Amino acid sequence: MLICDEYLTLASLDEAFDAMARHRGRCRIIAGATDTLPWAREGRAGDVEVPVLIDVARIPELNARRVDGTRVRLGAAVPIQRFLDDPALAKALPVMPQCAIWFADDQIRESATIGGNVINASPAADGTPPLIAHGARVELAAKRNGRIVRREMAVEDFLQGPGKTALESDELLVGLDCEALPGYGASFEKVGHRRSLVISVVCLAALVKLDATKQKIEDARLAIGGIGPVPQRLTEVESFLRAGPLTAERLEQAAEMPVALVASRSRQEYRREVVRGFVLRALMTAVRNAGGASLLAPELEAAYA
Amino acid sequence: MPDLRIEATINGRKIARNAKPHLRLLDFLRDDLGHTGTKEGCGAGECGTCSVFVDGVLLKSCLVPAAKAQGTRIETVEGLAKAGELSVLQQAFHKAGASQCGYCIPGMVMAATAALRANPFADREEIKERLGGNICRCTGYQKIFDAVELARDVQNGRRPASALAEEDAADGAFIGVNVRRLDAPSKVSGALKYAGDMVMPHMLHMAVLRSPHAHARIVSIDTSEAEAMDGVEGVITAADVPGVDGFGVFVHDQPIMARGKVRYVGEQVAAVASEDPLIARRALSKIKVVYEPLPAVFDAHEAMKAGAAVLHDYAPDNIVKHIPIRVGDVAKGFAESDLIVEETYSTQQVEHAYLEPEAGLAYVDADGVVTILSPSQNITHHRHMLSRIIAQPINKVRFIMSPVGGGFGGKEDMVYQGMLALMAMKTRRPVRVVFTREESIITTAKRHPSHTTYKMGLTRDGRIKAVEIKMISDGGAYGMSTEGVMRKAAILAAGPYAIPNVKVDTYGIYTNNTPSGAFRSFGALQTQFATETHLDICAEKLGLDPFEIRRVNAMRDGASTHTKQALKSVSLTRALDAAEKAARWEPGVPNMRGATRGDLNGEGTRPSCTLGARLAAAASPKTSEVA
Amino acid sequence: MAKKRGRGVAACWYGIARTATVDRAGAWAEIDDGGTAKIVTGVTEIGEGILTVLAQIAAQELGVRPQDVTIGDNDTARSPEAAHAGATRQTYMIGNAVALASRQARAALVDVLAKHWSVDNQSIKTAAGEAWAEGTNHKMPMSDAVHLAKARGVVPVGSASFGTDTTGLDPVDGSGRPWQAYVFGCQVAEVEVDTLTGEVQVLGIWAVHDVGRAVNPRGVEGQIEGGIVQALGQGLMEDYRTVNGHATTPNLAKYILPTSLDVPHVTSVILEDPDPLGPLGVKGIGEPAMIPTIPAVMNAIYDAVGVRITSLPATPEKVLEGIIARTAKRNINRVAAE
Repeated sequence: MLICDEYLTLASLDEAFDAMARHRGRCRIIAGATDTLPWAREGRAGDVEVPVLIDVARIPELNARRVDGTRVRLGAAVPIQRFLDDPALAKALPVMPQCAIWFADDQIRESATIGGNVINASPAADGTPPLIAHGARVELAAKRNGRIVRREMAVEDFLQGPGKTALESDELLVGLDCEALPGYGASFEKVGHRRSLVISVVCLAALVKLDATKQKIEDARLAIGGIGPVPQRLTEVESFLRAGPLTAERLEQAAEMPVALVASRSRQEYRREVVRGFVLRALMTAVRNAGGASLLAPELEAAYA
Repeated sequence: MPDLRIEATINGRKIARNAKPHLRLLDFLRDDLGHTGTKEGCGAGECGTCSVFVDGVLLKSCLVPAAKAQGTRIETVEGLAKAGELSVLQQAFHKAGASQCGYCIPGMVMAATAALRANPFADREEIKERLGGNICRCTGYQKIFDAVELARDVQNGRRPASALAEEDAADGAFIGVNVRRLDAPSKVSGALKYAGDMVMPHMLHMAVLRSPHAHARIVSIDTSEAEAMDGVEGVITAADVPGVDGFGVFVHDQPIMARGKVRYVGEQVAAVASEDPLIARRALSKIKVVYEPLPAVFDAHEAMKAGAAVLHDYAPDNIVKHIPIRVGDVAKGFAESDLIVEETYSTQQVEHAYLEPEAGLAYVDADGVVTILSPSQNITHHRHMLSRIIAQPINKVRFIMSPVGGGFGGKEDMVYQGMLALMAMKTRRPVRVVFTREESIITTAKRHPSHTTYKMGLTRDGRIKAVEIKMISDGGAYGMSTEGVMRKAAILAAGPYAIPNVKVDTYGIYTNNTPSGAFRSFGALQTQFATETHLDICAEKLGLDPFEIRRVNAMRDGASTHTKQALKSVSLTRALDAAEKAARWEPGVPNMRGATRGDLNGEGTRPSCTLGARLAAAASPKTSEVA
Repeated sequence: MAKKRGRGVAACWYGIARTATVDRAGAWAEIDDGGTAKIVTGVTEIGEGILTVLAQIAAQELGVRPQDVTIGDNDTARSPEAAHAGATRQTYMIGNAVALASRQARAALVDVLAKHWSVDNQSIKTAAGEAWAEGTNHKMPMSDAVHLAKARGVVPVGSASFGTDTTGLDPVDGSGRPWQAYVFGCQVAEVEVDTLTGEVQVLGIWAVHDVGRAVNPRGVEGQIEGGIVQALGQGLMEDYRTVNGHATTPNLAKYILPTSLDVPHVTSVILEDPDPLGPLGVKGIGEPAMIPTIPAVMNAIYDAVGVRITSLPATPEKVLEGIIARTAKRNINRVAAE
């Protein structure tokens, strides 16, 4: 049970920082609350008494979303469901809808925020690998000496371990800045123990752009979650894919590359097997979604479909 | 500390209330406003019994701080039936038989309403995805999908409104007719009150202190600090039991609250009642219990060994019950066999996970009758046990069965009703307890896990000559239904097959694990899983079709069972024939039917779930129904 | 193909009502004013639909309609013992008790009507709210019939008990008559196994169950569908775990249940082999519905990918491990053959 004496719903960043300063050491920030409320229960944190809850979900800046030619700016409190129902976001961030459909359920996606998914730093978070694949950077803000100061860093640098981030105690995660990748073929692979409302054992986001001939991968983005303390971008695989043609042999070689990265504390063998298969399946699907279907070796298509 | 001020519109009516700042929207709706159609199933967003619309968006109200309701427009299940007339969707749930226990149904109706609002033409796969956050433990979902499709079609004019109406029964012959469930309207509308929805004037809330140890002696319990707290109206421990303490479905080995020692983690040790549930919870931490940990045993096989920790003095070997079944001479049967197959099988502990966590309300009435209202599956036996425990004649103990939000055997044990009775007797006030989901999972009985060694001898033509089955089952810390489960497991172990030589032994064992108890199919599931898997292995080894090996051995009319009971009519071969026909079974040996088989992916199967039905529909609206 | 399909079958049997002990249930019936009816019995609904089943039975036996029947009230101080809600006994034990009590109440009303119309008791028929004497023009609504009975000083009530002829088991060889009614069933499962992840999807179940006599076929289907999905949960995902007695799956995030996306299409076939000992021929369905599902699914997994699961649940890890082990074994065999 989450027990508080005071619940503050704030309308601006300025107010939020003032409240954080006023209640330093005795407050907790919440936005969607979908992780915080279940956390304060038996078997996890138990009953938690927090004198002040500071709700930032209604701050306009945290809800803004802006798409231009090359970048997408997402307020930290944008709910996951927007990736499914905002066509502009879906076009600019092609892998996000495919991730969102796997993310919890329709109702939780309406509350759960993209910033919350990042800041919780769960090794199994569904939302972070796709963000990393989109080159996302977090935007952090604090109020110091009366002014709001901001800094940015890549999501993969921000995430430091399970539940650990680079966030300073006076900072808020206010937004995410992502690379818009319209026209990329996308795929999101996930396995858990059921198909809705489930925690990932492994999840993989893939984005592929083919060259004009559709013969070759011009650009590839892959990021994986669930195999270690933090999600990882598979840059070596990406460069390998860019370096040569789309042959069955090369795809299989690519799939072998991240297997050694599996460093989770449990189910390592299982995750290794799944990683290999997921890279293949995700690439096949992403290539197909990028318009390259006819180029794939039929036997490979059949084996991993 | 400042209360919240919440001004909102709820089901079309404006409200303005002060509320405690820590409340969730769920608490605010249920406790402050009395909208108990919105249920609490898990408190953690995992089940969907609490789904409500906030500004037109469906949310799980257990994950929404009440403060977020400020200025919003909220719609609960009570708001769906306008002027008392059920919505089309609610009528469709009624017609399709989509509600059983009904506890998930208000949330499910809300989720289905949201699905059809989002896409009035959603196909079955999209409907499934949009209901993916709402768990139903009774129906298997199929009738729910049917109901949503029916409502969709009626709303879209594809089916007439009469499709929602009752079917006719010819000449008053109602047996054999799909009469709509009489209790469905109360369930789809959220009107039905379960125990946790009921309140009485002057009512107290009870919270339970539980053991952190699997096995420990209780050196002392000091409740004085808790009793002295403002707002605490009563504290009870085993010392408050006036009669002969002990309950259980077969052996009365479990005290109302731990007496002298605790035997599993989560066992109830003391309870506190207060008008404020928060005070009751806080008071628990003021009860000082001194434990002296004892050696514990967590494995049934270990518990059977000499020198293992003993849980109950009356059972020094930790055996709750051993059931033997003997027919013929298995040694002779194995000697006559052409093939002997041995294998071991194991099954896990399983939680009933009814959507309604345990809840109950007790009071002492004006005539001194101790009355307990709870979703008990066995009020008859409970009153017998409680009358001894509280030393009152049977007619001074009254059990009322409140609507049961799922039972499956898990509500046969009198786990909290005794505490409620004692607290009501001590405080002379009505007392209610509502378990959290975690309490429900950690402290109540599970399906027995099992470890079975299996040996079967057969002749070349597949005829079973002998079976020898030994099942060891972890009964956990208390006897509960273990004896009966072992009995049913043993009687039915060898399956509905005529076998001349049978040796079955089932053992239920005490350990310091969460107790195992009654669970739908009661031991027979565990042993028949072994038998039916074993037959498949034997069929493959003998080159037989799995139906064939069953038919060869099937009991027929007049068969003698393994307990030597003569049966009259045996419908097994009819069932085999009907299943083979319905499934369009293609005969063959398991895993050897090869690529040419034509039985797969036909009528009666659903499409493989790949997620994203709405994305596919958006991408190619014309072909979505074909895919 | 990375996704392979297969099929499996399993049969089951089950005993109806309490095991190896005498079972019993009592019920009271009254044909009430306005042609309605009251049925009072000790234990009813836990979600299975027994209220509706009992109303159907009472309606047919009394000659009223199900919606005219009020059933109460699950109260040890106000209603006769009906024992407990479990053991697949509700329709069998309480249904039969309600039928017998209803017949007695109806007989009291029939006595009055037969005298009133000067006909034989046997010629009186009652159905769906009407009473009439066969072969005559005599007919009246049940409301009038009750009014008439009361004017003659008769309240049409009945009470009955239904018990079983069963025994305990011999402590040495287990012989005995644990039940008087048995049911049998059979299920076929079709699964798809993803050989990259080990995930199993159950796509179809064909379920045949003998229920004696189906009072409400849709309700029977509901029990079959629900039982199958509970079994599928145990077969594929549910796993209550403790470490040194401490639960590691204490909530529904860790203890996971089948969702709407995890369930098969179920085709139910209801078989009726009536029970000769009870007045209605009914038996039961609640528990047996879930027994064949797990072995049928495990046998289907084997059929699909050659992996034999003998330890539940068949998690993706376990299935994939089996697939890998099998592939490795095949490769070794191939090398050996070369």
